[in-house]
Amino acid sequence: MTASTTPANPPDWGFPTEFEDLSGEVAIVGVGEADPSKASGRTTHAIAAQAVERAIADAGLRPEDVDGVIYSGGLGDQFDAAAFHAHFGTNHSLFASSEGGGMAWAATAPVVAARAIRERKASCLVNVFSVAWATQRANMVGGPGEFHAKQRFKANLEMPFGWFPQPVYFATIARRHMLEFGTKPEQLGAIAVSCRRHANLTPGAVMHDKKLTLEDYLSRPMLVDPLRVEDCCLISDGGGAYVMTSSERARDLAKPPIVVAGVGEGQSGSGSYWSQQRDFTATPQVFSAPGAFAMANLSPHDVDVLTLYDPFTIAALMQIEDMGFCAKGDGGAFVEGSALDFDGGVLPYNTHGGMLSHAYVLGIAHVVEVVRQLRGEAAAQVKDARVGVYGGYTGQHASTLVLRRDA
Amino acid sequence: MSAAHFLPDTNWEPTAEFWAGAAQGELRIPRCRECGTYNWYPPKTCHHCGSPQLRWEAVSGRGTLFSWAVVRHVFVKAFEEEVPYVTGLVALEEDPAVRIVTRIVDCLPEEVGADMRVEAVFRPLVFSGSEKSVVVPWFRPATV
Repeated sequence: MTASTTPANPPDWGFPTEFEDLSGEVAIVGVGEADPSKASGRTTHAIAAQAVERAIADAGLRPEDVDGVIYSGGLGDQFDAAAFHAHFGTNHSLFASSEGGGMAWAATAPVVAARAIRERKASCLVNVFSVAWATQRANMVGGPGEFHAKQRFKANLEMPFGWFPQPVYFATIARRHMLEFGTKPEQLGAIAVSCRRHANLTPGAVMHDKKLTLEDYLSRPMLVDPLRVEDCCLISDGGGAYVMTSSERARDLAKPPIVVAGVGEGQSGSGSYWSQQRDFTATPQVFSAPGAFAMANLSPHDVDVLTLYDPFTIAALMQIEDMGFCAKGDGGAFVEGSALDFDGGVLPYNTHGGMLSHAYVLGIAHVVEVVRQLRGEAAAQVKDARVGVYGGYTGQHASTLVLRRDA
Repeated sequence: MSAAHFLPDTNWEPTAEFWAGAAQGELRIPRCRECGTYNWYPPKTCHHCGSPQLRWEAVSGRGTLFSWAVVRHVFVKAFEEEVPYVTGLVALEEDPAVRIVTRIVDCLPEEVGADMRVEAVFRPLVFSGSEKSVVVPWFRPATV
């Protein structure tokens, strides 16, 4: 059985991944965050280990109870099975998959878990992701630019023209969105201001102590016109982890289970070449979100709290449109003012501050935050949140994870 | 990253013909011999009909500005002396679906506007501290 992912007139510049229906099979039973920070001197492994320890403790489990680890194969130095055993001093049998971690995979790791549980390869799995990019940037290695510089069409047809790094891509996208739809700077600013307000309320958020008003935002100089530094994510050290098991077993554990109701994934046909994506002002959420909502038997109207992978304000705005929270092109008007605030906004959004103001830990903290919201444990708590969504995004991919409180 | 990272590798086969054309003052784009579609970035087979019969063809070098950014911050040292500069995407006159990443030159950032008509101009890209240079297609406001 596959999820129905086909809208009435699907665009043809990308495509959805067809997932089998796994709605309700697995639940998130433990979450943990490593302390987010600026450059801290910590290693990627040490950060991951702290997150995993906390996630396992949160679930009321012991390391020996975890028999599967899901991590990112795409980024180096991640917390794989060997790292798990080395850290916890264990030697039990561990299922391992490199199809997880952060970014888009922070939403799709539950698919890996559901399959492993169904095939009896594992019963309790942790998905983990960490970065030490703030530390590494200080040493001039690693970081988000390095990945793109290695792609040869970018090196040959983009970088010679100074179309590099990512803030330049997204400034160009933002400009086009403004030209096509009339999107205004104060609308992008509203996203940054809501995120900052949420970070001000969230202990540990990197920008916890720094206020930002819309007037502040508008008075800031352009970094790469039309984007200001406040439109761009932080560079951070940090990470997170979440523990999954079958929904049935989840009911016997320490915390209220947060059920995986739907998962979706979409891809752009032009890969990570933003310049060549046929619909320049869209994200592959167009292909991802419909399948996730269909699997969950829910719609965007049912969502109480949303977190989005937000490298730039414009990337969040486009995903809000592409996931169906408003019509394409109406995102600017939709997010204006306090629309995204946790207390009284029409769509409480990135309630921990997101990558703009909490930490750039590539989406894993977003999933942790949704779980906390649905348990009622968040710092900027949305009243009676029952359905929460995380949208992942890499450019090439987008993904959608619909979570709900166990009925 | 040093300045050398920002010069193209003119010998890399998939884009070698683009740079050979630039050296001769021509903008060249692969075109399908079977269906006539321009293909960008250079693929192995036509993205429209799947034919492997692609041939590099000179195009007019005229187009319209699709979108742009004004880079005011020094993200990379190689461009330290260039800021503020305008970089963006030009939609080709022959097929606006073909977007060329380029720089907009010979005008102030404030003079750049939506759908501005532009034309290619071929100039050597040189970074200070580097001896190598490569002729690249930049675009300027259309003169005709």
